[in-house]
Amino acid sequence: MQSLIRTEVLKLRTVRSPWLLLAACPLLVIAGVSGLVVSSKTALDATKQGEALAHVGLSSMFTLVFGILAVAGEYRHKTITDTYLSTPARGRVIGAKLLVYAVLGALAGTAAGLVGLGVAAAWWSDKGVSFVWGDAQMWTTIGGGVAWAAAFAAIGVGVGALVRSLVGAIAVALAWVALVEGVVGQLIGNLARWLPFNAGQALGAGSRAMVSGNLLPRWGGGAVLALYVLAFAVLAVTTSMRRDVS
Amino acid sequence: MTGGITMDRLTKRYGSVTAVDRLTFAVEPGVVTGFLGPNGAGKTTTLRMLLGLVTPTEGQALIDGRHYAELTDPRRVVGAVLEATGFHPGRRGRDHLRILAEASGIPQSRVEEVLDRVGLADAAGRRVGGYSLGMRQRLGLASALLGDPQVLILDEPANGLDPAGMAQLRELLRSLAGEGRTVLMSSHVLSEVEQTVDRVVIVAGGTLRFAGPLAELTGAKGETLEAAFLRVTSNTDTATATDTDPATGAVTAPVRG
Repeated sequence: MQSLIRTEVLKLRTVRSPWLLLAACPLLVIAGVSGLVVSSKTALDATKQGEALAHVGLSSMFTLVFGILAVAGEYRHKTITDTYLSTPARGRVIGAKLLVYAVLGALAGTAAGLVGLGVAAAWWSDKGVSFVWGDAQMWTTIGGGVAWAAAFAAIGVGVGALVRSLVGAIAVALAWVALVEGVVGQLIGNLARWLPFNAGQALGAGSRAMVSGNLLPRWGGGAVLALYVLAFAVLAVTTSMRRDVS
Repeated sequence: MTGGITMDRLTKRYGSVTAVDRLTFAVEPGVVTGFLGPNGAGKTTTLRMLLGLVTPTEGQALIDGRHYAELTDPRRVVGAVLEATGFHPGRRGRDHLRILAEASGIPQSRVEEVLDRVGLADAAGRRVGGYSLGMRQRLGLASALLGDPQVLILDEPANGLDPAGMAQLRELLRSLAGEGRTVLMSSHVLSEVEQTVDRVVIVAGGTLRFAGPLAELTGAKGETLEAAFLRVTSNTDTATATDTDPATGAVTAPVRG
């Protein structure tokens, strides 16, 4: 397994495109935090710190696509053949990918969190408001956002392994987040809290949710998201073991 | 370990379509075996079943009496270049091989050795996106040779090679077979096959049409390989794989493609 993990890291280190996706995470947070400050109609305070740092969780949109590249990207470039020739135990290949991509998703989220903290502190000082470094709400928001980014990277690996077409997988994933979950959510009412994007939002939310108000508590969102990760991981491994590679 | 390949009633059906139909033949070490057939004959599917990428519907394909997935260190036993093998265009040729070495527990020093052997050392630091088809073939060949395997399986290795590359490939395959390795290559370039292989296996419509020494296929009537190939692949009577009866051989059935 160690050698498989090193192999996956080496695959990532020898190409450039996935890193652009991860580098986009801190940029998104810079824009998000700044936008919140600029558009804020009330004075900045500690509550707003949590809201500003809730943008860390939006890194998950990029880590989701990053995760999709793990398997669907290999199908796209037909390197999957060589991968499975080296390691016929396909379940272990998928397992190593899940692990590596989730860790890198968490690291991208952490980088986004650090950058977000720096940018927020700079804005607060610019506005002459003291930045409360000990604000627990803010720190749990960042932690939740990092976990959300890691979970969505792993879910991306699963989606890519199930769909296999790179374009198809990215389209399905982004359409789900942007459109389908909202439509389905309206149909099922209160049950919408249990859908993956809403669970992620609950996990990474600030004092007030950014998009929809009706969310699970943070720990509940985390637990639900963990179950989704597990389900996608199991599906990805079992289908990959069974399917023909041609 | 001798590295022999055996197919035993190997069958693959996709719904109502039978891509490979009860193929039974053996490939021996020490010689180059050509694997021939028209487009859609089931060659690639057969090779993919042999390599554990596609699951047979029935029958089995074995290397040294074992399934590919049962081999410990498969790349040290079998080296394969498949038609559908690809490279990430943004990755350098050398890095592609480093990844395979890491995944297979092969020392990284082998990477430079195989780059030299296929004549790709100078281009190894460039990204594969800028490679010609011939250079990709060489990189594929380098991947197959990485584990110094006893068995080599090559799907259309001559595609995109210039005359010098063809000659080098022929030399390489013959010397590998001379070292006692098993070499199985599919090809459409019959003139190339004629100069390279000792034995041929011909399939058409998923069924076996001929398996044996090249001389036996062409020698009886003094035919060219092309004439013999067209004769055995246009024969729709699949009951007898090595049927050379001119009466049935002359049936003008459409070549399946």
